Amino acid sequence: MDTKRLVILGVLFVFLVVLVIIFFNLGSEMKPKAAPPLPSDRIESSQGPAEPITIVLFFPSENDDLLHREEREIISESSEGEKAKRIIEEIFKGSQRGYLSPIPPETKLRELFITKDGVAYVDFSRDISEKHLSGSSAEISTIFSVVNSLSYNLKSVKKVFILIDGGERKTLGGHIDLTMAFSPQYDLVAN
Amino acid sequence: MSLGDREKLFRYRRGIPKFILAPSCLFLFLNFWSFPQAQPTLEVSARDYADYSRLIVASSKPLSTSIEKSESFLFVKIRANTPFRIQKESLQSRFIKSVEWSQGRGFYTLTIRTQHADFSYDSFKVSNPPQFIIDIYPNGRKDEEETAKTSAGTPVVEARTEKVDLPSQDPECIVIDPGHGGLEVGAKGKFGTLEKDLTLAIGMKLAEIVRQRRACNIVLTRDSDVDISLEDRAAVANNNKATLFISIHVNSSYRIGAAGPETFFLSKDASDEEARRLAFLENNSENLANNIEADDEDVIKMILWDMAQTAYLKQSSELAERIQNELNLLWGTTNRGIKQAPFKVLTGVACPAVLIEVAFISNAQEERKLLTEEYQLKVAEAIYKGLSNFLRENSHL
Repeated sequence: MDTKRLVILGVLFVFLVVLVIIFFNLGSEMKPKAAPPLPSDRIESSQGPAEPITIVLFFPSENDDLLHREEREIISESSEGEKAKRIIEEIFKGSQRGYLSPIPPETKLRELFITKDGVAYVDFSRDISEKHLSGSSAEISTIFSVVNSLSYNLKSVKKVFILIDGGERKTLGGHIDLTMAFSPQYDLVAN
Repeated sequence: MSLGDREKLFRYRRGIPKFILAPSCLFLFLNFWSFPQAQPTLEVSARDYADYSRLIVASSKPLSTSIEKSESFLFVKIRANTPFRIQKESLQSRFIKSVEWSQGRGFYTLTIRTQHADFSYDSFKVSNPPQFIIDIYPNGRKDEEETAKTSAGTPVVEARTEKVDLPSQDPECIVIDPGHGGLEVGAKGKFGTLEKDLTLAIGMKLAEIVRQRRACNIVLTRDSDVDISLEDRAAVANNNKATLFISIHVNSSYRIGAAGPETFFLSKDASDEEARRLAFLENNSENLANNIEADDEDVIKMILWDMAQTAYLKQSSELAERIQNELNLLWGTTNRGIKQAPFKVLTGVACPAVLIEVAFISNAQEERKLLTEEYQLKVAEAIYKGLSNFLRENSHL
């Protein structure tokens, strides 16, 4: 009796585990894949050796409506794509000089690639929009902190297109238009 | 208390001053030394608008004033128990020839000499910061309107803000867009206030004011708590052939101290791109007409939609400035400028269009004020004043 019951339970358990695995695999396949660029459009991400570089990040400040420069040294592979990812990660880490964090802390970078015509596609997890303060000023500081930081440090980046969860979204929280690429705005930066 | 204790106390007392007395002496000295700077100030500035000049007497202290007209002069008497420091700057204005300060016993007089003896004026006070504002209208249109209106029994102050529509034109239509709505709540305040509720309250009040004072068509993109897409809001403006599009929002920032109103119009970055598309379309329009296939038509429509606002950027910036001026007066912000940003809701609107962030919901003080009917009405009044100033200057619209 007991062994029979154990066997049935065991079979059910294995069945359940298989179901769970199938479910999650399907789920990840169904997630929208990062939009347009064809592989040929991408800049070759040659795996260069890691080296220290100095980058400039742009953060909002409590004192005024402007973005403020913050230099820091990071170790990164020499390809532009890798540098771009590292720059976004450094923005996630926040300021070391007490400036404000422009991106909700739960946000993750899903994907980032730079096309040959100089557009960096940055794909954030949906937290960047769902956890956002969603006021105009907050949206402007989030967007241009990312756009300016990438464009300023990377020659290959002329414009930045922000994707959310792999797809195009209209806005972060109902204000600034995300359906086109942003050029950097250095007039938002403090002298 | 024994003698020894007293001595200890005495010594104790004598010990402190070395640390405390010297800085406090210095502090007191500095205080007295800087006293003249703390004296209340009086400052006059002027600004020209299309058909009137605005003179602003600003002070760091509430003002008690009276005003009197005599020929081409206006005399503004300001009561003063303590002396004011008068900041003199040269003034240039189209309708004002000169201003001059004189001092009497317990009062100051500002003599305003206008260009023409035939003028009328309107004056009012703003409390934060204390300002006394005088609008001077030269002879002509305003007077005629005023006499017409006063004889009809309408209050004088309102006469200025009213405009008689030219019968030959389409009636003007003002589209008011209370931001967000439904599930899309917008920004949230510390006390739980939602942006969508404030925008609706202010939008409805603004609509009511316009309805009362202008002979024009008013359309609200929403008059209840519903979700409406940004494209549909622009479409409402275009389908109604809007003269003006006013989108009302409440701001939120990562900065705790962020405060004050901001008025936006569509940014240049977007428009540059549209201008290039426009040039392309113009250069190819003949070919386009012949060669467009059914599928392409949608693309062309999309492009046209994207650049709808481009043609109106200059007027939009003027409209933004008029409204921002009035909001600055209301909130006492010192001349915060207008701003540009690529707002989704503005891109598709084919008329002068602005997006107003009336104040910061992320600022507890401003949130509390915005929750009162009184302030919502004041904000609506300020927006109305700004847009009617704009319409007066652009009567061809």
